[in-house]
Amino acid sequence: MATATLKGRPTLTRRPARHRLLPYLLSLPALLVCIGILVPFATAVAYSLQRYNSSLPYLRKWIWWGNYQTFLTDSAFWNTVYVSLSYTIWTVGIELLLGLAIALLLQRTTRFNNAAAIACLLPLMIAPALAALMWKLMTNPDFGILSYLVGLIGLSDFRWASSPSTAMFTVVLIDVWVYTPFIMILLLAGLRALPRQPFEAAELDGVPASFVFFRITLPMLMPYILTAVLFRLLDAIQQFDIVYAMTQGGPGDRLMVFQVQAYLERFQYLNVGRSAAFLMVLWLITFILSNLFIKNWLRLRERARGAV
Amino acid sequence: MHEKAKDAVASFVAGRTSRRELFGYGAKLGLGAATMGFLLNEAQTTAQAADFDWQYYKGKTVNLLLNKHPYADAIIADLENFKKLTGMDVKYDVFPEDVYFDKITAALSSGSTQYDAFMTGAYQTWQYGPAGWLEDLNEYIKDPKWTNPAYAWDDVLPNLKASTSWSGVPGAALGGEGAKQWAVPLAFELNSITYNKRIFDKAKVEPAKNLPELVEIAAKIQGSGQNVYGIGTRGSRSWATIHPGYLSAFANYGGKDFEVADGKLKAAMNSAAGKEMTALWVDMIKSSGPRNWSTYTWYQVGTDLGAGASGMIYDADVLGYFMNGGDNKEAGNLAFSAFAPNPKGSSPTPNVWIWSLALNSYSSQKGPAWWFVQWATGTEHGLFGAQKMDLVNPVRNKIWQDETFRARIAKSYPGYLEQYAASSPGSKIYFTPQPLFFNLTTEWAASLQRMVAGELPVSEGLDELAANVDNQLKQAGLG
Amino acid sequence: MASKISGGAVLRAAARIIVLLFFLFPIFWVFLMSFQTNQQILRIPPSIFFTPTLENYTALFSGRLQTASGSLDIAFIKNLLNSIILSSCSVLIALILGVPAAYAFARFKFRLGENIAFTLLSFRFAPPLLVLVPLVAYFQMIGLSDTYIGLIWVYQLICLPLILWIVRGYFEDISPDIEHAYRVDGHSWAKTFFKIAIPLARPGIAAAALLSFIFAWNNFVFALILASADKQPVTVGALAFVTSAGIQYGIIAAAIVLSVTPTLLLALYAQRYLVEGLSLGAVKG
Repeated sequence: MATATLKGRPTLTRRPARHRLLPYLLSLPALLVCIGILVPFATAVAYSLQRYNSSLPYLRKWIWWGNYQTFLTDSAFWNTVYVSLSYTIWTVGIELLLGLAIALLLQRTTRFNNAAAIACLLPLMIAPALAALMWKLMTNPDFGILSYLVGLIGLSDFRWASSPSTAMFTVVLIDVWVYTPFIMILLLAGLRALPRQPFEAAELDGVPASFVFFRITLPMLMPYILTAVLFRLLDAIQQFDIVYAMTQGGPGDRLMVFQVQAYLERFQYLNVGRSAAFLMVLWLITFILSNLFIKNWLRLRERARGAV
Repeated sequence: MHEKAKDAVASFVAGRTSRRELFGYGAKLGLGAATMGFLLNEAQTTAQAADFDWQYYKGKTVNLLLNKHPYADAIIADLENFKKLTGMDVKYDVFPEDVYFDKITAALSSGSTQYDAFMTGAYQTWQYGPAGWLEDLNEYIKDPKWTNPAYAWDDVLPNLKASTSWSGVPGAALGGEGAKQWAVPLAFELNSITYNKRIFDKAKVEPAKNLPELVEIAAKIQGSGQNVYGIGTRGSRSWATIHPGYLSAFANYGGKDFEVADGKLKAAMNSAAGKEMTALWVDMIKSSGPRNWSTYTWYQVGTDLGAGASGMIYDADVLGYFMNGGDNKEAGNLAFSAFAPNPKGSSPTPNVWIWSLALNSYSSQKGPAWWFVQWATGTEHGLFGAQKMDLVNPVRNKIWQDETFRARIAKSYPGYLEQYAASSPGSKIYFTPQPLFFNLTTEWAASLQRMVAGELPVSEGLDELAANVDNQLKQAGLG
Repeated sequence: MASKISGGAVLRAAARIIVLLFFLFPIFWVFLMSFQTNQQILRIPPSIFFTPTLENYTALFSGRLQTASGSLDIAFIKNLLNSIILSSCSVLIALILGVPAAYAFARFKFRLGENIAFTLLSFRFAPPLLVLVPLVAYFQMIGLSDTYIGLIWVYQLICLPLILWIVRGYFEDISPDIEHAYRVDGHSWAKTFFKIAIPLARPGIAAAALLSFIFAWNNFVFALILASADKQPVTVGALAFVTSAGIQYGIIAAAIVLSVTPTLLLALYAQRYLVEGLSLGAVKG
């Protein structure tokens, strides 16, 4: 039987049924709306279990785990896993460090800092699909301002996204430019919401700044960091816009991330089954990662609540 | 409103006045050449209506999906005439080319009835046809009930007709036995050299006669101290990198993409001829191609040529044509040259890209849609497009013989007609038709990228590609 | 001691300037480009000096642009309107659905509560392409293809989880005592929710709404596949400036400047809530 109780407060009397149903009434519409959209999910699962290429209709049949089995020995698949994971680790790692540093810089509530925080949000407001067009121009060896600037410091042959050795660097740079503000603003909010007492006490005791940061600031900021990283992780591993606009996964297969591969398989090669299988693997990875994060997040929050 | 002008136009159509008199008269009335052209086309369309019931589908509405392209612009500019001729209405969606085909694929693969007819390339029909998404247009063209007698299907260049028809059997020749006409050509492009005369003169070079010479000249331009690079070609990770200059040269060297035997395909990119040509190509890109080559689509290739950043391009002739006008910095400096890459060969073998119109097999109004397609690919609209808009290259003999069109091109695009005359006899699709075209050709491009980046030598790269392609063909039951 | 402090302050100031430079320089450059003709942009080497022109903006507003291959019709203003309609309706609906749900998860411990919350968040995990392709066919069947409603529905996958997560955190941050006191006074639950809980959570709601507005605004793939040219937002519409007569960089730059404006105005308006509103259920002292 479903019992609805207000958190932290024991129920003294039995509430009327209407009230027990209340939380369900409040949350179900959201759930229904989303589930409605996810009906296609089941279709996609079915596709992933078939040999299904639209341009070879006579070959279509159920092969169950066949698509997944070919992945095991398919170097293209493992390359995609590798590229997606390294893209995710690089972008989220750099964005977290940079976002945290900037949030610390802008921590004090001053007029300049508030204005700077909004200004830093600007890259987030430019759609990545359009931002990539601009970056493509800015990194053009002839007309591009960035190529010109790095040329001034002696890197006249820097080839940005078009060279295998710098392609990952370039798309990571763009991702960092676009999404660091997202992490920054969440962490800034966290920093400004931290209680004062522990810091004041530490200052009175003359505790060194590094100790304060690692033993007080960072642990207290953890729920924010986890949330920011969770959302970024989900987006980064599902990266599409920037990579597709910059190189379509090239040069070679250097930037072939999951969604670009799946997009090509689906929309250009009409390989419906294989595309769906790629996406299912991606879904599994994100599902596992976010499960880990959310469990940790809930535990941390419980602990923080218990501590105060 | 233009009653007087209309009278004048009618008298022209009846053969009473000459074209020059007609346009002179239009100028007196204060009408521009385009308006007069439109009115003229209107009158001719009326004349054409006499022997065929164009009004059969009066009141119907046709929905089109068009690519953002001068060819689509020409259709849109002439659309009023179609509406007047047929009493039908036309609605259209225009999408930029970057996403155009993905949009079609999404619509067709979900069985959408949203679009009745759409623009497509020939390669795409190798997927859409076998998938059952297209109508076989032979059934319409060959039936006088469906097609107006003035349509003159025989006037369409035979190579193009063949290149847009295929039996659907992997590896079977285009236009061969049992071929279905999946699409009707609208206009096409072939691949040749467009060069910047100003830059060439300064570097004291002439257009190359063959590929080894091209490599040399490109390097010479690069080293001529003009702060430009030698030659522009596409390099993005896409099938589109292979099909222009690269495949034209590949075919000229005698290279083949596949060998077909007993209905099975076998990769042949790694033949000796293919390796020789590819090695030259990779050297050329390395030493004098665009530095960001592996991100270059035809937009960047064209933009660089128009802005004077590259000395020449080996790409679609119409790309050079488009860049030689408007507000481009180098407009007026561009010249054209046919190109036969193999020193032992004699004539060019340009691969072609054909923008065509096709019918959605899910469409609930194929009749009205076909009415539109036969109008848009007919002589009247073709003439309008070639004379007044940029419907170049035309697909009909009659239009190539049209004096107004020829005079216009000769005046504004010096050397273009000569280039076309030399290029066109050998121009056709040099790929072997098979449904995995996009998959395998994109892989070819990715492999070329790795060779240019110096990640693997040409010979090894092509061997690896061929092995990989064979493997995929086997998996799909084609190899 | 004094010199040491000022040394740190100088470093901090320098760091701030570098940060601003990194994030703003590309935008500054795009802003400059929006006042240049394509010819000026495509100069070798690039230069900061030019005679500004309003050509790009006039072209966007008037809907016509002259290029090498004739004139180009621009539906940009329509695209901008589509973006505004899609993003604001999506956020609005996500708020209507998400805020009560967030409240339920924050205030009530109920069976399956955490599971429902997790499921809702997990919609964010589904790769967009996975859902997208079959969706085209289903929308076709139920008549939602190429409609605003269909798109807004799909946009819930972007907006709802974000709103739910942030607003829930914020509700948990507010002590329930005030609501209790109000309830004890004999007011109904609904009244408490609307009169007390929502106003108190306003910063959280505003911040969540702003962020999901931004993500909806920036979406590319959903709109590309599901909408016809008629309902296209700016992200897809701006691709039309990649033309056969060259890439119209000046226009693209102007389009970016214009497309950022509504979001920026919204951000400035919500500024005072933004930072405060994102305190996600961490415990305040």
